[in-house]
Amino acid sequence: MKGSLTLRVSLAFVLIVAFSAAGLGWYLYRSFVDEIVRRDDHALLGKLRQVQQLLGSPGAQQLVHERPQYFRDTMSGQENSLVRIADATGQMLLDINAPGERYPVPPPVPAPSRADVKAWTSSAGYPAQVVSGSARLGGERPVHITVARVYADRTAMFHRYRQQIVIACALGAALAGLLAALMLAHGLRPLRAIAAHAALVRPGRLDGQIDSTSVPRELQPLITALNAMLARLHDGYTRLSGFSADLAHEFRTPVNNLLGQTQVALAHPRSAQEYEELLASNVEELERLSGMVDSMLFLARAQQDDVVPVRMRLSVGEEFARMAEFFEGMAEERELTLQHAATGELQADAQLLRRALANLLSNAIRHAHPGTVVRLAAAAQGSWIELAVTNAGDPIGERDLPHLFERFYRADTARSEGARSTGLGLSIVGAIMQLHGGRAEVRPGPGTNTFVLLFPAD
Amino acid sequence: MHILIIEDEPKTGDYLQRGLRECGFTASLARNGRDGLHLASEEQIDLVVLDVMLPRMNGWEVLAALRARAETAQLPVLFLTARDEVQDRVRGLELGADDYLVKPFAFVELVARIRTLLRRGPVREDDLLHIGDMEIDVIGRKVRRQGRVVLLTAQEFNLLYLLARREGQVLSRALIASQVWDMNFDSDTNVIDAAIRRLRRKLDDPFDLKLIHTRRGMGYVCEAASREPHR
Repeated sequence: MKGSLTLRVSLAFVLIVAFSAAGLGWYLYRSFVDEIVRRDDHALLGKLRQVQQLLGSPGAQQLVHERPQYFRDTMSGQENSLVRIADATGQMLLDINAPGERYPVPPPVPAPSRADVKAWTSSAGYPAQVVSGSARLGGERPVHITVARVYADRTAMFHRYRQQIVIACALGAALAGLLAALMLAHGLRPLRAIAAHAALVRPGRLDGQIDSTSVPRELQPLITALNAMLARLHDGYTRLSGFSADLAHEFRTPVNNLLGQTQVALAHPRSAQEYEELLASNVEELERLSGMVDSMLFLARAQQDDVVPVRMRLSVGEEFARMAEFFEGMAEERELTLQHAATGELQADAQLLRRALANLLSNAIRHAHPGTVVRLAAAAQGSWIELAVTNAGDPIGERDLPHLFERFYRADTARSEGARSTGLGLSIVGAIMQLHGGRAEVRPGPGTNTFVLLFPAD
Repeated sequence: MHILIIEDEPKTGDYLQRGLRECGFTASLARNGRDGLHLASEEQIDLVVLDVMLPRMNGWEVLAALRARAETAQLPVLFLTARDEVQDRVRGLELGADDYLVKPFAFVELVARIRTLLRRGPVREDDLLHIGDMEIDVIGRKVRRQGRVVLLTAQEFNLLYLLARREGQVLSRALIASQVWDMNFDSDTNVIDAAIRRLRRKLDDPFDLKLIHTRRGMGYVCEAASREPHR
């Protein structure tokens, strides 16, 4: 477990929103502060010009002496506005300085601009600005004007503004985290549905597919993969349970025979010859069982890819000749002729190839009409090498064709032949071909049946 | 020849002991690995038939213990396994087993393997084999009965030679298919029966003394003495 996804994503959201809101807030705050400071500076410069104008008008000297508060009034009469007017000798003509601040007095500039506005700090620690200019008092005597201002209220406003930004950032981040958690809870709902579905999966209930219609596109591959996995498991499980069911069913007959005939024999005293007969018959049934066990094991291991074919170059002609020789006696007894013609080579496991061919040939011979020919032929067809076993016999029924390679499927239900066959021969052929990356096919023709082994050409 | 059977399954142990005794071997039976190891060191044993699934001390441990002791290190061991898994077989052979059989196996198959491991007769490697009135010229690949040549195909000769070399031993159909045609799998038993019938038509039918006999449920045997009853 690596913690909660919801928690992690929500925290990430909180951080992202907090950082971006803080960045934005800081930027806006900076712009706001700059703008206010600029306006205040211009206001200060304006005030200086106003005082200059006032002083330049006739009778200004009298005004300075008699109505000094007049100058203060023009500056809105605030405690924080300071004005000082001195003549060329340094004689103070007017000093409006209610709080008694000590502030720097810059030298007068002919036409002051923002660059000439100097910053200072008030005794209470507030930021303050000052600028100087000159004028001719009443149009005659040159004077040195200094205006200054302490921005106590502005500092308080900036402080409130900062607080609001911090609160807004915190609220926004918290809200984003909450929304992210809610959205994730909603977005992860399909996963919970998958989990609920998975919780219901058990042997025998593997076929239920997870509904992918209500699932977001991003989760579709997961659903598709899960469904494919379920389908494979279902397929394997069905095969496996079918396997054991078939096995149990197929074992019934020989086990029943063994049990029955032995019990009948034991019910009364018998001659030695009768006992011998019984034992021999038992051996036949047991051999059948044993053969079935072997074949089933082979099939099971082939399906689990537990059998690794040992591929080698084999001469098709030689293999056919060996087969023909092996089946010669059996064919002769049924008045059949075995013909084989092939050249070329094949990459295959010798024993597995022989087993597949032997199964096909023994079928072909058992089902051929007497006096006909059973043919072994080989041909290269595109990317396949085809080995074909053809006999002349009754055509295989349409209904049987798709099932021929299924285990325990017997096209001929007649017991006489069925007793000999385990019904596994062709499924073993199919399994062998699968191990070789090829396949087995049946091709019914007019009056003939051809079984074909298709090996991939190398 | 003294064979030690180490097998815990009561019926299997009993029939193996009885069957091997009837085949002319001295057979001792141990029901678990410890007793088996004890017997192997106490008695003069020529071969061990070892079951893998044993209580307390399993077959692999017994095998390892046998190989570890100087006096039993070279003792031929044939192991029996109920699981036809490649790993099982490889493990057994790696531990030094000489051969193996997968249950269920044919008893005649076991006897044939034991005889091969013991490398003792009655496998005859002579150039001339005589059974009853039959003479087999191994080099010239010719067969005569009562002095008359019996013409056989190459396949029929190989079949007869296999049976004749192991005169008196019952050979299973699987063994015959494997030895004569190199078909090492469970093939249609009809094929072997048909091949034997063909051979008999040429070899036995013209003569009163039958040499090739069917042992029902087991296989075929070649011998001059007609052991009754035979079919």
